[in-house]
Amino acid sequence: MSGLDWFVLTITLLGIIAYGLYRSRTTQNLEGYFLCNNSMPWYLVLLSIMGTQASAITFLAPGQSYTDGMRFVQLYFGLPLAMVVLCITFVPVFHKLRVFTAYEFLEKRFDLKTRTLTSFLFLLQRGLSTGISISAPSIILSSILGWDIFWTNVFMGGLLIIYTVTGGAKAVAYTQQLQMVIILVGMGLAGYMVIHRLPEGVGFFDALHIGGKAGKLNVITTGTTDHGFNLNDKYNIWIGLIGGFFLQLSYFGTDQSQVGRYLTAKSVGESRLGLLMNGLVKIPMQFLILLLGVMVFSFYQYHREPVFFNQSQLSLLSKSKYKDSLSVLNKEYNAMQEVKVKQMNLLVTDNLQKGSPAWQQAQSIVQTSEDQKAKFRNTVKRWLKDKDINGDDNDTNYIFLRFVFDHLPKGLIGLLIAVIFLAAWGSIAAALNSLASCTIVDFHKRFSKNTITEKKQYTLSKWYTLLWGIFCIAIAQLAYNIGNSLIEAVNILGSLFYGVILGIFLVAFYFKKIGSSAIFISAVVVETGILVIHVLNQRKIISLGFLWYIVIGAMGVVLLSGLLSTVFKKDKKAG
Amino acid sequence: MDDMQEDKVPFFKKWAYWYALVMGFLLLLIIFFYFFTKYFS
Repeated sequence: MSGLDWFVLTITLLGIIAYGLYRSRTTQNLEGYFLCNNSMPWYLVLLSIMGTQASAITFLAPGQSYTDGMRFVQLYFGLPLAMVVLCITFVPVFHKLRVFTAYEFLEKRFDLKTRTLTSFLFLLQRGLSTGISISAPSIILSSILGWDIFWTNVFMGGLLIIYTVTGGAKAVAYTQQLQMVIILVGMGLAGYMVIHRLPEGVGFFDALHIGGKAGKLNVITTGTTDHGFNLNDKYNIWIGLIGGFFLQLSYFGTDQSQVGRYLTAKSVGESRLGLLMNGLVKIPMQFLILLLGVMVFSFYQYHREPVFFNQSQLSLLSKSKYKDSLSVLNKEYNAMQEVKVKQMNLLVTDNLQKGSPAWQQAQSIVQTSEDQKAKFRNTVKRWLKDKDINGDDNDTNYIFLRFVFDHLPKGLIGLLIAVIFLAAWGSIAAALNSLASCTIVDFHKRFSKNTITEKKQYTLSKWYTLLWGIFCIAIAQLAYNIGNSLIEAVNILGSLFYGVILGIFLVAFYFKKIGSSAIFISAVVVETGILVIHVLNQRKIISLGFLWYIVIGAMGVVLLSGLLSTVFKKDKKAG
Repeated sequence: MDDMQEDKVPFFKKWAYWYALVMGFLLLLIIFFYFFTKYFS
């Protein structure tokens, strides 16, 4: 990186920390530290929940559309529906009961063991996944920039601890506001630059046509093949609407990292408005991020494209038994790229007209070069998967940053690296705040035999935030040492637990006659069932997309607890 | 916090209209995406 990039990166990150500390003043009790004394307006709630949901990987998503097209956006189709259900049911109840954590409500509705089990599952899942939220962008940045992984993890997960510990939920919300503004400006500038750097005569719509021809504008897919509906298909309209609805409902309704954001609102109405606005803006925002990937794809039709975007993995191959084969492959690939780029640029200078023979020829070149490129890439991936190499054959998250480093001007590179940091900080800060709130409220305070003064609770909350921060950095370091297997395992961790937790909350809200024993036994049985299904899936005995776990988990708890409620008639019930 | 004091619904008379707006917008987006996919495929 150039001196200017370092300057922009440093100033942006220090600015956020300074702003977080400036906004840190809170009343020294739990209300101030975790709920901002219920003072937040809807637009801060909106930016806070958006900042919490958007991790660093969210802003590397252009790589997703580059490789797989835009169908990933369908995963968010269930979000607006979930926002409506939350506003009708969850939000008024949480506000009415004046809870700090979502799980407090479960003790009021069922009993202590259900609250403790659910809060424990949250701590387990969120603690590990926050570690991965630190690790994933750190691995990418350390790989591209050659930074030391330990220090990258410390900067990625450590600097935000300064203002998160000091200012609690208030500092988290205010920094997320500024972070989201910087992120959107950075991504907007990147989008402008991609289009600006297309050859003269190729505009935005031409780039769209090129992406469309290569199948990248597949926003709506149905998941059906010649053999019927594919249950293993990850992104299609049905999994987006059904699985996405359950995923977003469980995430926003039962995950304290999100519940803690909208509980800071000054009224039920402000919470509702923040969530509903999220329902309006989230899909268009994700659509634009993915569209950026399609623009990058079209850009590379006129410029030399790397055969594999993770250069560190190519270096690994160049020092292995595939050294000579890689050299031959590179020569052939470069020759193919040269022909493609030359042909594409010739067509531009001949004034590309849609539908003309020249245009059709361009489409044909794109398609042929895509087919050839796929063969070269598959060969590289096959080599990386070789047990002797044990490399990472997925370069999706490297595509956008590789483009940024190779083709964007100085200064903007520093800003976009800052965007990755800020996106990570927003979600990690909210996670640490929620982990601390559950630890103090659901465990320490709940199980303490002595009365804890407000001042002591406040001090303890700060310590728990710090300890969870250190724990998450340690997990990030562990994830790097163990490699992809742990990252993949933790990525599906949410799907394994979210369904059952959501099922418990759905019963709590909608099935007043089901009591505590029925729900506890159902939760344990269904969670075991989900784990069995996952093992069968891993061993390829069955084939099921991970999002279906949430649907099965939630529905399983509702149905089984309904059946068991006929047995446990003397259970503690609602009201 | 005036927790259960039903604060005035912004822009509309009822929250139900807000819910209808969010769901209607989702429907419009899906229709737009459908034609977008079809046009550029």
